Amino acid sequence: MMDKQQDRSSLVRRGLFGLSALGAAVGAAAGGGLGLLAPRAAFAQAVGKSRLQIIKERGHLIVGTGSTNPPWHFQDASGKLVGMDIDMSRLLAKSLFDDPEKVEFVLQGSDGRIPSLITDKVDIVVQWMTVTAGRAQQVEFTIPYYREGVGLMMLARGGKYTKFDELKAAGASLTVGGTQNVFLEEWVRKALPQAKIDAFESPDAVLQALNARRVEAYVADQSAMRWLMAQTPGRFIDAGYGWMPNSYASAVKPGDPIWLNWVNTVYKEAMMGVDFDSFAASYKKWFGIELPMPKVGFPSEFA
Amino acid sequence: MIQYYFDWGVIWRSWDKFAAALGLGLTLAVVSLAIGTVIGLAGAMARVYGSRWVAWPVWLYVEFIRNVPLLLLVFFIYFGLPEFGIYFLDKTQSFVLTLSLYAGAYMTEVFRGGLASVPRQYMEAAKAIGMRPWQRQRYVVLPVMFRITLPAVSNNLISLFKDTSLAAAIAIPELTFVARQINANTFRVMEAWLTASALYLVTCYVIAMLLRLVERRYASIR
Repeated sequence: MMDKQQDRSSLVRRGLFGLSALGAAVGAAAGGGLGLLAPRAAFAQAVGKSRLQIIKERGHLIVGTGSTNPPWHFQDASGKLVGMDIDMSRLLAKSLFDDPEKVEFVLQGSDGRIPSLITDKVDIVVQWMTVTAGRAQQVEFTIPYYREGVGLMMLARGGKYTKFDELKAAGASLTVGGTQNVFLEEWVRKALPQAKIDAFESPDAVLQALNARRVEAYVADQSAMRWLMAQTPGRFIDAGYGWMPNSYASAVKPGDPIWLNWVNTVYKEAMMGVDFDSFAASYKKWFGIELPMPKVGFPSEFA
Repeated sequence: MIQYYFDWGVIWRSWDKFAAALGLGLTLAVVSLAIGTVIGLAGAMARVYGSRWVAWPVWLYVEFIRNVPLLLLVFFIYFGLPEFGIYFLDKTQSFVLTLSLYAGAYMTEVFRGGLASVPRQYMEAAKAIGMRPWQRQRYVVLPVMFRITLPAVSNNLISLFKDTSLAAAIAIPELTFVARQINANTFRVMEAWLTASALYLVTCYVIAMLLRLVERRYASIR
């Protein structure tokens, strides 16, 4: 099932190069020629018809996402697409068709997120998308389902420090590791102004440097850090400080309030209503964190 | 034609970083060559004059180091030793240790060849005028051997300097690291790598020229 879906996905993705309807037609022809199911691109909505209705009629949801970023969207050991973004997509499918499998994933890079919506290749993008004012002028964001930030991970045993205050107090005698990128130094300086920074080429090298006690803490996205911690329980600890917040939300093509509002309703009820159990299970699975049960009684989000 | 717009401003602004990186790379190479020379001399002596029980471990060391990629040796010393509870080496010391062991293996072979090519008659002549064994080494064998091996030693220095680029893998800020950092920060990939290449090229060429002068001054065969 999954393989077929991905074959179709790649065809749809190829179709993107051809731009809009022509590309989709070429993609469909290629699909038919290969004897595969032709991808049914999420064609532009007819006037006055919400995408919600189009999806219901089509019988499955088309989601744009990626496949290379654990724990958000990646292939597990058996090659199945999994992750937090995938769980959110399946929740939408379940809410639409009472079947979490009725979803087609169109795999794309991060740079494909906005174009695939604008050209109607997908119904929704669920791909660790950071909400920014600039992007919000091109697409419409749903409510966020995660707040990303930078964190510090340390060894649970055998490390010199156990919490953020100690790291901060260590001053210039502290070495933190991270992957070489534009923001690394800026990030670290904001939290630990005096720390020495070792920049490595890849995340696995940073992790090994932490294991070998070459660095005292690993600077990473909180979600990546949570995923590593969930993979090897008891080996690493969170220093307990997060900074550089940014919100992850899904995005839809602008101008369809019915569809946007429906997705928002599903997301909101996942985080604090009927689907809380399934959301909390995903959260626990990918980030290793047990979410507190939403308080029963007054809906506290309006407090 | 190349569809790329060059912007060298980034390079000029980072010139101090490049200069520091070049100095660091040279220091790493020279220090490692110095330690490697000592190791190589001892290794060659052990292989040529030592008993089987001394020569065999040296052979093992040389073959192990020569047949494992340097990058893996760097990783082994930097990431591996702490797993065995050895923490006192920082990243630069770890790299110098690795490069010294690496240089030592090659120098062992260089010096072994050099020792073998010192003409037997020199040794006999030294014996004939009544030199003791250590005097024969000090005044006859080693000076001749050094002259014979000088070109190979210069080659090793140049090659070690280029090998310091692997230190970037363990976050040591030498030339390759700085170039990569500029790539990550500014995406001026062409400019950064071209500058690093030019610096490697010029530095290696200058080292080669200087060593050629030394060779001309000291080489035994003219």
